[in-house]
Amino acid sequence: MADHARTEEKTDDELAREARDGSRRSFEELARRYKRRLFVYLRPRLGSDEDAEDMVQDTFLKLYRNVGGYDPAYRFSTWLYTSANRLAIDSFRKNATVRRESAGVANDQLSDPAAGREAGTGESGLWDKAQALGETRFRVLWLRYGEDMTIDEIAAVLGRTRLAVRVLLHRARTSLAGLLGPDMCREARPRPAVARRSSGD
Amino acid sequence: MLCTISRWMISRSEDTGKKMPRLIERHIVRCGACGEFARVSASLSSRLREERAAWLAKVPDFPVDLGRGLETTMQGARAIEAGRPLSRRLLFGLRPLPIAVTALVVVAAALVLFQVVPKGSAPTAQDRAAARAAIKSFTSAPGGLQGAVGKAESSLEREGRILGQSLSSAAEYLQARLNIKIERKEAPKPL
Repeated sequence: MADHARTEEKTDDELAREARDGSRRSFEELARRYKRRLFVYLRPRLGSDEDAEDMVQDTFLKLYRNVGGYDPAYRFSTWLYTSANRLAIDSFRKNATVRRESAGVANDQLSDPAAGREAGTGESGLWDKAQALGETRFRVLWLRYGEDMTIDEIAAVLGRTRLAVRVLLHRARTSLAGLLGPDMCREARPRPAVARRSSGD
Repeated sequence: MLCTISRWMISRSEDTGKKMPRLIERHIVRCGACGEFARVSASLSSRLREERAAWLAKVPDFPVDLGRGLETTMQGARAIEAGRPLSRRLLFGLRPLPIAVTALVVVAAALVLFQVVPKGSAPTAQDRAAARAAIKSFTSAPGGLQGAVGKAESSLEREGRILGQSLSSAAEYLQARLNIKIERKEAPKPL
């Protein structure tokens, strides 16, 4: 019992080091801490709760399999999200055909900031609004403010340049500010997320 | 245009901590929308961080059933640590691709190093019958096997005899021609 309490007090990086040395309990504690965070990160990309849960499990299995190669010089969360991102990309490619068939429905579900503003009036949660901005913007916001990652860490996780990450963050902020502040001037008012997605965002 | 630049500079300031140019600061003071954007951007960080825990709590919990997969992986890790050989199933479960590649390399190397030569055809029934007849002829020869060996040696003696006859006839010819006498030497004494 005391051991369990002590495990809960440890930092992620301490637990990751212990897991690397063979501690199953430490790894389970890491899985317990991160499963929901990883779920909300993966959910918009994968499209369904079931797929996101499966991906969370796959990610933790992959991580434990390779835990011997964990480098404590990097944060555990960076390692975790990088692995999850790669697995999600693989899954996305495998399911590309299925996704294409349901693209019409998915596009309808993608939020338009203007529509989001109307819908957002009923939602008090800022993260709900962030999620409505679209998958890519939500992910950078989550990594930046949900996981307190630096620009460099986000760039490593997403496999993009620092500048690309800053541009994504800027667009996400602009869109989110558009949802929050009704008095944005017309020039900088964010365009609908669906239209911007086609330009590679 | 200036609004767009101003908002980019506000974001840059949020991300990198760099100070905004004076021109942009002045614009933010004058432009209400950009001022609003600056205010929202500045508060976004703390608001999102504050709301994170409550938002995550709304996400329905689900079991991370690492279960058998994790157990298998952990057994593998422990076995490796203890230096025990892994079961084949576990090994394939852990590293299917590297193992398949290794197997291919081993087979390819074996094909390069060793040439496959087809075995000669098996003796037919006729060959067997001929071999049996040959053995029978040896065993049924007079004197048995020794007789067959002696018979084989007789051809050498015959050759020696023929050679001796040739030499003696040549000696006779020379005696008659040259009017000399040729005598055969005695056999050399053994040492």
